[in-house]
Amino acid sequence: MKQLVAKYGTALSGLALFVVFLLFARNFASPANLLTVLKQASFLAIFACGFTFALLTSELDLSFASIASLAAVMVGWLLHSDTSWLIAVAAGLAVGTIGGLLNGLLVTAIKVPSLIATLGTASIATGTAFMVTGGVAFVGRWDASFLALARGKVLGIPFLIIIMFAIVAISWFVTRLTPLGVHMQATGEAEGAAHRAGIATKRMKLLGLTLSGAAAGAAAVLLVANLSSAAPQMAGDFLLNAIAAVLLGMTMFDPGRPNIAGSFVGALILAILANGLVLFGAPYYLQDIMLGVIVIGSVGVSASVLKKAAFSV
Amino acid sequence: MNQILSVTGAFKKYGAVTALRGANLSVNAGEVHAICGDNGAGKSTLIKLIAGVETPDAGTIEVRGTPVSFGDPQDALAAGIATIHQDLGLAPAMAIYQNIYLGSELSVRLAGIRVLQKRAMMRGAREILAKMNSVMTDMTKPVEALSGGQRQAVAIARALRWNAEIIIMDEPTAALGVRETKEVVRLINELRNRGATVLLISHNMADVIAVADRATILKGGRAVTSLSLDGVSADALAKMIMDGADDIEEA
Ligand SMILES: Nc1ncnc2c1ncn2[C@@H]1O[C@H](COP(=O)(O)OP(=O)(O)O)[C@@H](O)[C@H]1O
Ligand SMILES: [Mg+2]
Repeated sequence: MKQLVAKYGTALSGLALFVVFLLFARNFASPANLLTVLKQASFLAIFACGFTFALLTSELDLSFASIASLAAVMVGWLLHSDTSWLIAVAAGLAVGTIGGLLNGLLVTAIKVPSLIATLGTASIATGTAFMVTGGVAFVGRWDASFLALARGKVLGIPFLIIIMFAIVAISWFVTRLTPLGVHMQATGEAEGAAHRAGIATKRMKLLGLTLSGAAAGAAAVLLVANLSSAAPQMAGDFLLNAIAAVLLGMTMFDPGRPNIAGSFVGALILAILANGLVLFGAPYYLQDIMLGVIVIGSVGVSASVLKKAAFSV
Repeated sequence: MNQILSVTGAFKKYGAVTALRGANLSVNAGEVHAICGDNGAGKSTLIKLIAGVETPDAGTIEVRGTPVSFGDPQDALAAGIATIHQDLGLAPAMAIYQNIYLGSELSVRLAGIRVLQKRAMMRGAREILAKMNSVMTDMTKPVEALSGGQRQAVAIARALRWNAEIIIMDEPTAALGVRETKEVVRLINELRNRGATVLLISHNMADVIAVADRATILKGGRAVTSLSLDGVSADALAKMIMDGADDIEEA
């Protein structure tokens, strides 16, 4: 019983919250609003998947939102200068991946702690994004096939949501069912033991941080397609939200560990909460306060392996 | 006797400190061989050379009569030598079966992608532990939930999974209570019964006497003597370790 609560308590609370909003928040249950919630959750979930990979190897990535903003303005800039949308998308993904790879190299090759390294690259990415745009946003009537990445539908389901599910499913598969996932986890939880068992721990950390950047690149492309605009700080709000989703996720399913299923449900809960609070007429600042409470609370209550491994430097 | 491992004239310096000055060691196949000596005698350093953790400045190591040179612990492992360090090298929060298969997980290729065979690993882990008469039912239990003796069993099971013929154990009972120590002594005896060769470092003379067939006594980086422990008492062995100092000073 106690174990069931530990594993599923947070998810069930999220479900209860959802039901309360369905019943009592005006317009929450409308199909259009539910779609908005799911879309918001999709961006969050993609960022959260990336952050989960980094955290699984016991590294923090505080740069993914800034890197996503940079990737977004790259996409906007290329589209604006009439480059093929396929190239723009590839460039967005590349900026994210290369940003993540750079973080990984700083951490594994130069041994800068990830907290510091990613704070640094975050600032560099933000500066570069302003440089590219000159501080303004790219807005355009862009290629319909590009915009369809986020807004197009297959059998009535938006592409964005299908892509998100694909990313979540693949990430879940890799972390749970492949040797690679076990090696990343072992690297995060017992680096010395993993190394002595022949696991390439540095490569695992490099991979974790690179995947975090790659996910940020993917989220950036979808953000631009969804809003048909690109601004130098457009992904900023996702930083704490996605981290909160992952930390909340660590209180479910595999308590104490970063896990993809938890991150996904965490993203859903946060999107539901944000939307429901607005509909309830809660003041705008309440969201920030709740976010802080969730971040601290989740780490506080979970007997996290990372409390021992990563955060007890 | 069938010698499986030998070290001849091993020298090792750490900066100004000479840890080993011409140490010799000869280990027979299938025996439990203790390495004894005071603090700083060079026991850990000698073990590190054999385990591939450090490389000797001079001297030769032979495994089954063939000279070897290990660049890292993986090389030693490939030669059939596994080391169980004092911290056991386990991932505490991970499951028993995951620890036993850590770094060499069983998997099948499905459409080119390696997929874990969790069931096969749990079954395999249970079988290896059963061979050591170590009964653990739930293979998904995290190692940190086990007793000290059971953790040793998991670490040994992993060494066996690696097909190690020579298993080095550095102070396996140092952190354990009486009952746990008994369990480790039992595990070492099981290893011998299975034909493995065990190289044991221990400060505890009673444990050494209880489990080892022979001992090599180190003093000041040299092996002062190598003897059979048949009929030797713990006190006599302790005295020999202390007297070793006089031999060196006289020499
Ligand atoms: N990494 C090292 N750096 C410097 N000196 C060392 C190092 N390792 C061991 N020593 C020294 O080498 C000598 C032998 O040490 P060690 O092999 O650990 O002995 P034992 O295990 O028998 O206590 C000691 O004087 C020790 O201080
Ligand atoms: Mg020692």
